[in-house]
Amino acid sequence: MSNETPPKSALREFLGNLVSAPGRIYRAAFRTGTPTTDRTRSNFIFQNVFLHLHAVRTHRWSLRWSTTMGLGIAALAAFLITLVTGILLMCYYKPSPEDAYNSIKDIHFIVPTGRFIRNIHRWAANIMVITVILHMARVFFTAAYRKPREFNWLIGMGLLVTTLGLSFTGYLLPWDQLAYWAITIGANIAQSPREVTDALNITASFDPGGMQRQLLLGSDVVGEEALIRFNLLHVMVLPLLLSALLAVHFWRIRKDGGLTRPEDADKLLGPPPADTYPVFTEAPQKTYHLAAIVRGRTPAVNQAPENTIPSMPHLFYAELGVFMLTVLVCVGLAMFLNAPLKELANPSVPENPAKAPWYFLGLQELVSFSAFMGGTGIPAIVLIGLGLIPFLDREQRGTGEWFGGPGGWPLVKQAIAVGSAATLLVETIAIRFGWLREWFPHIPQLVITFVNPGTIIASIYAVYSIWLVKRYNSARAGALGLFTCFLCGFLILTAIGTYFRGPNWDFYWSPAQWPKH
Amino acid sequence: MSETSNHAGSRLDPEPIPRRDFLGLSSLGAMCASLIFAGVGIFRLPKAAVLSSPSKKFKVALPESLPAGQGFTPPGRSVALFRDEEGVYAISLVCTHLGCIVKSAPEGFECPCHGSRFAADGAVAKGPAPRALPWLQVSGAGVEYLVDEDATVPPGTKVKA
Amino acid sequence: MNKNKHLLLWSSLGTLALLAGAAVQENIFREWRQTQKALATESGPLDVHLRQVVAPKMQAADRCVSCHVGMAAGEQGISGGPLAAPHKPVGHDPAEFGCTVCHAGQGRATDKADAHGDVPFWPDPMIPARYAYAGCGTCHAYVGIPTESQLTGGQAIFERYDCLACHRLDGRGGTLRPGGAGGMEGPDLSAAGLAGYDRRWYEKHLKKREESSDGPWRISFGKIEEPDRTALETFLATRTGAAKLVEAKALFHTLGCQGCHKISGVGGDEGPDMSRVGLKDPGQLNFAHVPGKPTLANWLSAHTREPGKIVPDSKMPVFGLNDAEIDLLTYYMLSLRRGDVSESLWPKDRLRVERFKEREFAADGATLYATLCSGCHGPNGEGRRFPETYPFPAIANPDFLAAATDQFIQDTIKMGRPGRRMPAWGENEGGLRDEEIARIVGHLRRIGGVPEPKRPIAERRWVKADAAAGGKLYAAYCAGCHGAKGEGLEAPALNNKSLLAAADDAYLVETIGRGRRGTTMQSFGEASTVHPALSPAEIESLVAYLRSWEEKKP
Repeated sequence: MSNETPPKSALREFLGNLVSAPGRIYRAAFRTGTPTTDRTRSNFIFQNVFLHLHAVRTHRWSLRWSTTMGLGIAALAAFLITLVTGILLMCYYKPSPEDAYNSIKDIHFIVPTGRFIRNIHRWAANIMVITVILHMARVFFTAAYRKPREFNWLIGMGLLVTTLGLSFTGYLLPWDQLAYWAITIGANIAQSPREVTDALNITASFDPGGMQRQLLLGSDVVGEEALIRFNLLHVMVLPLLLSALLAVHFWRIRKDGGLTRPEDADKLLGPPPADTYPVFTEAPQKTYHLAAIVRGRTPAVNQAPENTIPSMPHLFYAELGVFMLTVLVCVGLAMFLNAPLKELANPSVPENPAKAPWYFLGLQELVSFSAFMGGTGIPAIVLIGLGLIPFLDREQRGTGEWFGGPGGWPLVKQAIAVGSAATLLVETIAIRFGWLREWFPHIPQLVITFVNPGTIIASIYAVYSIWLVKRYNSARAGALGLFTCFLCGFLILTAIGTYFRGPNWDFYWSPAQWPKH
Repeated sequence: MSETSNHAGSRLDPEPIPRRDFLGLSSLGAMCASLIFAGVGIFRLPKAAVLSSPSKKFKVALPESLPAGQGFTPPGRSVALFRDEEGVYAISLVCTHLGCIVKSAPEGFECPCHGSRFAADGAVAKGPAPRALPWLQVSGAGVEYLVDEDATVPPGTKVKA
Repeated sequence: MNKNKHLLLWSSLGTLALLAGAAVQENIFREWRQTQKALATESGPLDVHLRQVVAPKMQAADRCVSCHVGMAAGEQGISGGPLAAPHKPVGHDPAEFGCTVCHAGQGRATDKADAHGDVPFWPDPMIPARYAYAGCGTCHAYVGIPTESQLTGGQAIFERYDCLACHRLDGRGGTLRPGGAGGMEGPDLSAAGLAGYDRRWYEKHLKKREESSDGPWRISFGKIEEPDRTALETFLATRTGAAKLVEAKALFHTLGCQGCHKISGVGGDEGPDMSRVGLKDPGQLNFAHVPGKPTLANWLSAHTREPGKIVPDSKMPVFGLNDAEIDLLTYYMLSLRRGDVSESLWPKDRLRVERFKEREFAADGATLYATLCSGCHGPNGEGRRFPETYPFPAIANPDFLAAATDQFIQDTIKMGRPGRRMPAWGENEGGLRDEEIARIVGHLRRIGGVPEPKRPIAERRWVKADAAAGGKLYAAYCAGCHGAKGEGLEAPALNNKSLLAAADDAYLVETIGRGRRGTTMQSFGEASTVHPALSPAEIESLVAYLRSWEEKKP
């Protein structure tokens, strides 16, 4: 019971508070004030839950264009774009076979900006796939997967698979011919282990293929259940999974001490350019307790962190720049190229040719030799191989350098030549002369499953890379060769599937030669 | 609990967890068991006990004048029915490779998706298809027949017309 | 470090520019906006917004009226070009039925090319304006359509009796008011076939005439003879408001296409079922040899003209039709688009066809014959042959009709010739009923001009002769055309089960003896340059030989 404060002054105080409220709200949100000094810049970052993902200071090596080419950020940007546009599309999309197609038509024709948003979604998804693959290639070629970053490499592979999964599940949703037959093929690829169990005559008791397909489709035909499942995966399960993996991925980058850089990065960089904001003017006067338990990154007393610059604003300009560049590319493509929408799904007449999205056409080319090896076997071997790389290559030489390690760029050039030549040669034989079945009509299926152009190409790569390991006496050299070969194979097979396959999956030099239909 | 606190170890190097913490182990074990049980239960969910797709058995009336070697496909089904001197038979039109619907071609069937070709009796002639097109069970006589898409019969099984 | 700032600046400005471009495109340059801006109402410029007709029953959400604004519900007095014109008066209000139900096309689209379906991946493009009434076929199945000649004959009679004086028909006539100025006018008969009319119209008309002393009733109406009245009624039944489509359908019936093609379950099955031929997806058709644009109409015309050229293994013969006929057939085929319209919405005619199995062709013998038989046996029963087929028998041949009993012809129609191209019309679901078969036989007798032969011997099987002797004769004189085992080469198969079952001995004896004048079957009762005259006993032995092919009854 305080009687010293008269009600009049409480009212005045109330009014005063009201007047100053906007300013207080602003300061409550932006506690640090204008980030002009080292301290406020640092505060700006670690007082903000989103920005605190970044280190307060960034090494100048990490900011070089040639280090990352912005690919990781571009992939993230593409994901964010698909996230936003995807939520917008969900306002109108109806996941049922009767309505799905019409709802896409409505998005096209009567939803203001609907077609534009759908196009952006489509292109951002494509760009996400491209950038994720390129990002992985960058990490591989700069040997950035090495200790302590092995785990993050695995997470990255999880992200790659999830990204492809998102793309594939999104493909079914319009319920047009393209969608329906791509999903039919996809679901049957999931069933392809039957090719082996059938040949061994054990399908009746052991049928992993049938179970996978059933799990995916929820029925024995591509229908309502499949649509609902794919929708669930596409809008809910996979984005959540991707976000979780992304969080770990980013967190690991910081835990692993930022981006990889060569041992002699500081020497290579030289003095900072004039237009950077100044580095710490004063060396720290005490050790940081929290920082002390971060492995190997204890700032020493009386020693300034060399060659780092404040993340605010240098890193943020770089990130925002890449982000807007990605937006620009997506919007630009979306302006001029419409996302496809074919006829309403017709379960009795397949598309001819029925082509999956372009990044799966390399796989489809393999599948056209053997469903099991092309659709399950070889991808599984590739994924396992990729995952093992950081554990097999435990060397130090060349970390952080493009094409670092024994052999270097000349080896990569040679691998490009070998990989392309092997792929083209085997493809040419298969296209020109057919394969085992045409030569020996009664050959057992198991032989074709394991001896087909896809497995032959993969074996050539493997033999070549083993030879490289011996030649350079280095696992890194073998990995460089193998990865380069696979990249070449992926590109060539994708190109063949995209441009040179026509009706009935026959070879044509150009779509102009396709039979008129 | 009291055991560990009695030990005068370093703050940074505490006594390792006792090897036989019965209570702890059994509680963790119980948790794992219940989660595994729940997982097994949930694993049953994605497969309905009865599929909602329409019945695989259907009746079909063959056209009176169906030339031998020319297939008749009832609307909405992926089956071709044939009639020749020896009788009536049905061949599935679902490609054994990746499930596209094959088209009849002069010398048999061809699949538009990956170029598999089949002979007129369904045997694989070319391409990636691992198995022949299955022959389906047909029963009945005269004009109307019952086809069961789930039941396969050995190639060459024909029902007397 | 300024490089990144530049990147951010220029990327953002570029994005901004693109978005501004998209906004301009979206809000100014859309086709329908431009269209609507060019139109005006009586009270000023037209309010620019997307318009549509939603017909939930027809599952239609048709935005066609965003450009064809004059046809939008509730829009009146719009001026500014052809798009401002209202729909011409039709039986169905577009505001209730939508547009695509009749005209096809892509109702959800808002750009012209998309909406008209002239884009890849839209399987049901608009029905061309010149075939507009083909759209009626989505729901309707007009019943009782006669042949072309009956149709034009009926029309001629309608005009001869000057019915057009008082009645309107397809936009003509109806100038005279029988009730006098301001009095009652004659009903419009354009849709009499659908709406129905008073069955006792003739008696009522006659009574009116007798009651009045002068005026229109006295001047314009007179006695109508019974056959003319029948023809008039047949004609009136075809007035459905879609005159051109009915004309096309009549031609289809005249040419006998249904002898090979089923429509709604009725017809032969030599050729593909045509019930949904108008719904074919142009994207699935081969246009390699089709002149002109890749439209369904062009494909159908080209295919009707030369089937084998468009579909390589087509068995359909070339009929040598003229352009007008092909165009009419195309018209009718485009109308064969009975979609999956909910049964509760079926019009009466469709219900009559699909539920009560009424015929879409008229019930008289002439129409039945033309619709189902004339395609192979010729319009006048003269027989026909097409390249690569054996000839179809001349079934109105006087020698045939003189030898065959009605029972024989009826049995033949009913049972067909198994294994040959003649289907069993009596057995199939889409086949003929007994009274229809009888009417066809009657029609044959009429065009052949030969009454049913009187059989002197009551027994059907009386021939008792030496089959072995007949066999030698057969090998010598018959096997050349009928095949060594009677399997049929140039001439019909004689070992056919149902032929031998249906034919009595008298028929066989008579046919061999008389031959068929005008065909390659000679009279074997008389001598010719290639064979001597066979004696009755020899002919009987031949018949006995033919009978030996019959399956022995246990």
